[in-house]
Amino acid sequence: MPEEDSVSKLLRLKRFEQPPPGYFEDFLVEFQARQRAELLRQSPWERFSDWLGGLAPAFEVPKLAYAAIVVCAIGVSAVIMGQPGGQSAVLASHVASAPSLSLSSPSAASIPVGEPLPVALTSTGSPSVHYVLPTRPVSYASSRSF
Amino acid sequence: MEPTETPDNELVARTQAGDARAFDELIVRYSPRLYGLIYNMTSNHEDTNDLLQDVFSKAYRSIRGFQGKSSFYTWLHSIAANMTINFLKKRNRRATMSLDDVDNGIANDPDFISATAEHDPRHQANLSELQKKLNEAMMKLSIEHRTVVTMFDIQGMPHAEIAKILGISEGTVRSRLFYAHRQLQNYLQEFIKS
Repeated sequence: MPEEDSVSKLLRLKRFEQPPPGYFEDFLVEFQARQRAELLRQSPWERFSDWLGGLAPAFEVPKLAYAAIVVCAIGVSAVIMGQPGGQSAVLASHVASAPSLSLSSPSAASIPVGEPLPVALTSTGSPSVHYVLPTRPVSYASSRSF
Repeated sequence: MEPTETPDNELVARTQAGDARAFDELIVRYSPRLYGLIYNMTSNHEDTNDLLQDVFSKAYRSIRGFQGKSSFYTWLHSIAANMTINFLKKRNRRATMSLDDVDNGIANDPDFISATAEHDPRHQANLSELQKKLNEAMMKLSIEHRTVVTMFDIQGMPHAEIAKILGISEGTVRSRLFYAHRQLQNYLQEFIKS
């Protein structure tokens, strides 16, 4: 008998190596308990990334890749919002509608919160922006009383 | 699969629809076979138990993405083989073998009787000795060679199935088996009759 067949025959004996009796019954119970514990332990983000990973297991997309995509999206949004063009339209409308005031004669009139900032006209007639502190400080407390 | 058993694809569909008990049936069906695969690659009962839990956890989490392009059997075995290979590569240690796990049926196996027959008084082998030698020989193989030997010689899978599970060609499976058998012949000389 070729030696290679003898090797195969010897290896087939390893099929007799089995776990102790009752192992597979206990295995299922242990698996169910572990699943319940995992669900309780997982954060919402982990459950979400597991759900996403389950949709495309063949690609084995790392969980960090999803986080990277979200961070990139937030970053791009922040960049767009930070662009001067993004706020220029807002500033132009404030300049056009604000009454003319100057710092040389500070106005005693209070400026309601939320109103556009006053803009003074220079001698050349072009607007220049001055900042006037509102009389009412910023407060995060609710104005309502209970 | 027994004729009265629910087909795998039906159990998979029910699991995907949210029926956890369908997945339990799949566990009962495949855990013995997967246990054999993982145990013969690791030669350690405790590691096998942990890995088997991890394999079914991963399968459960991923099953919604299973589209049936391969059989569920192939898909599940692929998860088990790859997770075990990754585990062994990370650990990169010699396994501590569990010697108490041998079924009593081996004593009546003709191949065992033949392998341990006292044809030379200087080489009296018993059950533990043979098991120990087999496990030692397997652990001397590289992870890749041990995997194909486990699947082909111990689990009885055909070359084509092994190739699909491991994502390699049939030619690679055959060449790894050839090399592994040569190695094992050297390690197991005393048990191989001429």
